[in-house]
Amino acid sequence: MDLSLTTISQIRQLLLAKKIKAVDIVKYYLDRIKKYDPQIQSFITVTEKEAKKQAKVIDDKITAGQSLGALAGSVMAVKDIFLTKGIETTAGSKVLKSYFPEYSSTVYQRLVDQDAILIGKTNTDCFAFGVSTENSGYFTTHNPWNLSMVPGGSSGGSAAAEVASLCTFALGTDTGGSIRQPASLCGVTGLKPTYGRNSRYGITSMASSFDCPGSFGHSVEDIAQVLKITAGQDSFDATSSQVKVDDYPALLSSVKLSGLKIGLPKEYFTGSINPEVKQKVLDAAKVYETAGAQIIDVSLPNTDLGIAVYYVLIPCEISANMARYDGIRFGQSRSDAKDLLSYYLQTRGDFMEPELKRRILIGTYALSAGYFDAYYLKAAKVRTLIKNEFIATFKKVDVILAPVSPTPAWPIGQKVNNPLEMYLADVYTCCINVAGLPGLALPCGFDSQNLPVGFQLIGNYFEESKILSAGHQYQELTDFHLQTPKL
Amino acid sequence: MSSAKKITESDLDHVAHLARLNLTDAEKTTFLPQLESVLEYLDKLNTVDTASIDPSFQITPLKNVFRQDVVKNSLTQAESLSSASKTKDGYFVVPATIKK
Repeated sequence: MDLSLTTISQIRQLLLAKKIKAVDIVKYYLDRIKKYDPQIQSFITVTEKEAKKQAKVIDDKITAGQSLGALAGSVMAVKDIFLTKGIETTAGSKVLKSYFPEYSSTVYQRLVDQDAILIGKTNTDCFAFGVSTENSGYFTTHNPWNLSMVPGGSSGGSAAAEVASLCTFALGTDTGGSIRQPASLCGVTGLKPTYGRNSRYGITSMASSFDCPGSFGHSVEDIAQVLKITAGQDSFDATSSQVKVDDYPALLSSVKLSGLKIGLPKEYFTGSINPEVKQKVLDAAKVYETAGAQIIDVSLPNTDLGIAVYYVLIPCEISANMARYDGIRFGQSRSDAKDLLSYYLQTRGDFMEPELKRRILIGTYALSAGYFDAYYLKAAKVRTLIKNEFIATFKKVDVILAPVSPTPAWPIGQKVNNPLEMYLADVYTCCINVAGLPGLALPCGFDSQNLPVGFQLIGNYFEESKILSAGHQYQELTDFHLQTPKL
Repeated sequence: MSSAKKITESDLDHVAHLARLNLTDAEKTTFLPQLESVLEYLDKLNTVDTASIDPSFQITPLKNVFRQDVVKNSLTQAESLSSASKTKDGYFVVPATIKK
């Protein structure tokens, strides 16, 4: 049975109707991983034994007539920064090589509790610091559409696994674009929810006021299924929201496209954007217009400051979050240091990848005496301006439509020696993180090199239902999300 | 714009020491121009007037999220020690902090 585009609810139906067993579903994905992942390298760890065991538990439940979780039979690939109890979690870094967590991330656990099956931990830029997955301490993931190209990042492993159908759905995190950008570069659907919608507990923290766990899927429908399970307050995450969780799958047709006010922010369609990318995104707006939506030009003048705000605030938060990696309670360490100070200096110096060091250094500098006001405080004030600009715009429009990445995927190795150029890849995604809004990335075509292009729908706070519904209806009018690469 | 470097080698040494990070000479040579170009880029923030703007250190309306002071199950001592590089008698072992 070809499960490459089978949805979460279709898989569950097949199981209930006894047309397939969970162990066969797992075998299907494991076979694909063995066949295709050597070229793609999306997985750091494939959890073959655990997946087969979990599948048998589900099959036994079916045989015993017990009720099945909402995601029964769906196989998930999880970005390796999500802690998975008893299963190696490296965060894509040598710092956590051979780390076996003693507890699991809330988001992951909620999915397991609904009978989703873990198939493996996916490759990521180290601790999610990156836009291409080239900063992984292990290896680089290859874009399944063209293996010499990057898959995007930092959740590149999850995006690549999803488009290659090595899983039913995949988990990632989006701090500055790390779900939406690889989703667009790999031609899959990806959701960054509102900050606080999904719990950050049990995920290695990058920037605590920006990190958003989210998911990849072949369709908005599947992403809605996953969000319904993962969303909601968690007592282990004090920043998680009490706002009511909608029944996202039931609301996929709730928004009326006719009369929907869609804002196109002019600053997102000028500057460094590749002309083919721009055209495909404008074509997506046209699909909505033809369906009766009202396209309204809007302006977000502080967009140009987004990267600067982002790359002050996140290194500052990073420098604090990375202080825990001293090899004492977890992580690799130097056992031969002569005193505590040398121990810290050598342990962190030896095992941290260059990008970890770069961002810790920038953050430490920006927070140090004499620089705090000029950098951190200033950026926090401009953050207010960016946030207020979006709030004002949502008084005029229902959703905002914009590109995700200024370019399609680029060759592996092309930008590795130029960190600033890498950082600028976040230009259309990071403001959404600065403001904490939800963003849904959707495939909208291919460029002349047959590389995927995506666009994003940006919603107001906790309006995931609105962007999911608008996105779902786009996917009913187009079929870009059903295109898969020849492997 | 000042032509003085934003980050000198001695600044880098100071910051690396604050962050408890050993850097090799090769790393310093690579990082200095990279950090310089990033820090120069960040000067963009000075183009905007924020005199009357309050900072956003986070973007939720949440404040003082409390819970009841009730003991709940957590990791056992064994679990908590299970990933440590060095333990002894239920303690994490680190190099001496105070010289005799």
